Amino acid sequence: MSERAERLSREGDRAAGRRRARAAGRPTWWLVFSRELADLWIGGKALNLTLIYSVLLGILTYVLATNSELSLIPPKEMVYEMLKNAMAVSLFIALIIGADTLSGERERSTLESLLLTPTSRRQIVLGKFLAGISPWPAAFAIATPYMYVLSQGDEVLGPAILWGAILGSVLVPAYTGLGMLVSFWSNSNKTSYFASLGIYILFLIPAQLPGRAQTGATGQFVQWVNPVAATNHFLSKHLVNYRTLAEFWTWLTSPVVFAVVVVVLLFLYASPGLRLEGGKSSKLGSYLKRRTGLLLIACFIFSLGASPALAYQGEQPQAEALQISIDLDHTVVKTGDKVEFNTLVTNNSSGASGPLIVAMNIINLNAQGDVVDPEDWSPERTQYIDSLASGASANLEWIINTILDGDYMVYMVLIPAPGSREATSQPVASSGIHLTVTPFTRLNPGGVLPYAIGGPLVVSTLIYLLYRRRRRDVDAGAVKTDIKFKIAA
Amino acid sequence: MPRQDHPILSAHDLHKSYGPRPALRGLSFSLEAGRILGFLGPNGAGKTTAIRILTTILEPDAGHFVVDGISSEHPDQIRRKIGVLPENLGFPRQITGIEYLTYFGQLYGMEAAQARDSGQKLLEEVGLQQRAKSLISTFSHGMRQRIGIARALINSPAIVFFDEPTLGLDPRGQQELLALIQRVARERNTGVILCSHLLGEVETTCDDVVILNRGEVVAKGTVTDVIREVKQDALRIQVPSRSARQARKVLKTLRIVTQANPIAEMPGWIRVELAPSADGTSAEQYQVNNTILRALIRAKIPILSFGTEGGRLQDVFLHLTEETIQ
Repeated sequence: MSERAERLSREGDRAAGRRRARAAGRPTWWLVFSRELADLWIGGKALNLTLIYSVLLGILTYVLATNSELSLIPPKEMVYEMLKNAMAVSLFIALIIGADTLSGERERSTLESLLLTPTSRRQIVLGKFLAGISPWPAAFAIATPYMYVLSQGDEVLGPAILWGAILGSVLVPAYTGLGMLVSFWSNSNKTSYFASLGIYILFLIPAQLPGRAQTGATGQFVQWVNPVAATNHFLSKHLVNYRTLAEFWTWLTSPVVFAVVVVVLLFLYASPGLRLEGGKSSKLGSYLKRRTGLLLIACFIFSLGASPALAYQGEQPQAEALQISIDLDHTVVKTGDKVEFNTLVTNNSSGASGPLIVAMNIINLNAQGDVVDPEDWSPERTQYIDSLASGASANLEWIINTILDGDYMVYMVLIPAPGSREATSQPVASSGIHLTVTPFTRLNPGGVLPYAIGGPLVVSTLIYLLYRRRRRDVDAGAVKTDIKFKIAA
Repeated sequence: MPRQDHPILSAHDLHKSYGPRPALRGLSFSLEAGRILGFLGPNGAGKTTAIRILTTILEPDAGHFVVDGISSEHPDQIRRKIGVLPENLGFPRQITGIEYLTYFGQLYGMEAAQARDSGQKLLEEVGLQQRAKSLISTFSHGMRQRIGIARALINSPAIVFFDEPTLGLDPRGQQELLALIQRVARERNTGVILCSHLLGEVETTCDDVVILNRGEVVAKGTVTDVIREVKQDALRIQVPSRSARQARKVLKTLRIVTQANPIAEMPGWIRVELAPSADGTSAEQYQVNNTILRALIRAKIPILSFGTEGGRLQDVFLHLTEETIQ
């Protein structure tokens, strides 16, 4: 048969397929989609993963709200963190479901029956793909109340929902498609899951690198190229730092390009060749894949453990004739309590002083305890005095929000501003405040507990109702004995 | 619907290789409507490859086939004409019998209501009407095979492929399933290809047979013809081990016996080769049997077992695939 005749024949087949589909009222991709949807959501992995997801979001909300109580994280940042994590988990779910789509069917011996029908391969893949992205709307719907409660009325909620919906709807299909591509070439779920997990970690690593590795031209480029990191960067700047779309739209390039490439690969390149056997790979290839996966996991764990660079310690300058005192020498409080105290700066010298700087510092007295970041503990840890006349004093007020329980020393440092670029000065330290913080946690910080517990409960109830309805429709148990049928004579 | 006399399936010189290893070398055969063709061969003979090519899952490297007048160049159209019960048949987790059949009916282009009606009828046909709304996950293996057959018939195919359908079934289940397959062929006038390792079931169920060995057809035709073609003039007799030597002596005295040798590792068994008759054919079987039996009885040798060799499909299969098995 000539090439032209072959092409015409194939086109004839396709046209006949379309006619049949129209005659039957529903396109075959819709049938496959409906079936897959039922399989995923009635006792399938989408339902279980969504339940786990809602529990995770509940825990995360509670943790963020607890931090909010301590004034650690502003609402904007909490909403951003919630959205970022909701998307990260949703992408993981999308990848896992995509990775099971074809290799799972191969493993369960259900793909052959499907390939034996006149349905086109592309329609099979389309139906499965659409079902694969179905958890995303549910996941986003579950995340929305959490974002609402964490926003505490902040205007960030609207943009967060808008951009979350848009970017999730770009990335989730891309991840589902990516999982399906892996599944397409895998004969077993084990291979498919392993490779998908490796890819997931690969995209996650740049976001986990130490802060310095994320800056600079190379670091920025790596962030920009990575669709997940770029999305997070855009969301962070737009939602938290009030940056506009016009300033940061280029960060949306990689997610969009990534999604387009994956979808084109899946539907134009891979799906017409869908077959019973997955892509075969050599033993060497398989070995390398496994080793690469292990390496990626190792990199991920290493990057999590990476610590920031050591702080620079400069030389100690000299000072004289200035005094600083504190009106508190010790106190015992609970976490979340505020500690207020005053410092008195006195100029004992014969002349007026230059500009003075007073800085507060907090150290953990327990060598094994967490290192204290004073910025987290105090809204204002540095105050400035223009000048002090001879014998004059200045009273300064300070507030500390106690965040973590433990044994601390708070002390102040008085620093005369150096007179010139070439000069230096001698700081003067105050006596310390011995601060003992005992643990105290509010059971319902920010009123989020009903949401944190309610979310998973609502999802569980929906699952139960779905099961109950399904059980009404089917004879679910093996309650009847095997029915014998008569053998034809 | 009665079909025409022309072959419902004809395969011409099909070839397939996996890398350097040939899996199928020039497979040609045909099948008529209403007949059952047994597809036999030892493991690795190329049966599964052949079935997968004929069901359009694989493409042949060379050759072509025609199903109900449709050339293998139109796999989409062929899929509408065939039904398949694969060797490993899986089912979606949460699906009832009737939902399963309705789904596949719709995939073949039926309206939902029509697919549901066809599904109900097929469930009755395979004896599962009372389990229509049960989840398939609660079905026994035999019931799963039966719903698999119903699914293979949902599109009223011209030809149905059964790949090891009785595997894992108990003897009663095997018998019931084979009866169902025969009904499919006879009542629906459908061509049936039955791939099986159970030679007894092929012999009793099939009209025609194709035996493959190392990717090549080593025998084909009606079951009777294939058995006749390779039939050997030999008998197998079992006597008590202590009488075996005496029995061989007695048998060697008979003019119709050319050889009477013990069968290795089978104490008491004797293989008796018979002399061909003057016109080149074997003598009437019953006369030969009677002569031999009489001689042994007269010598007061107890006969534990007596049978002709080469008269069963199993013997033919073993003979034709001996080299591979060894």
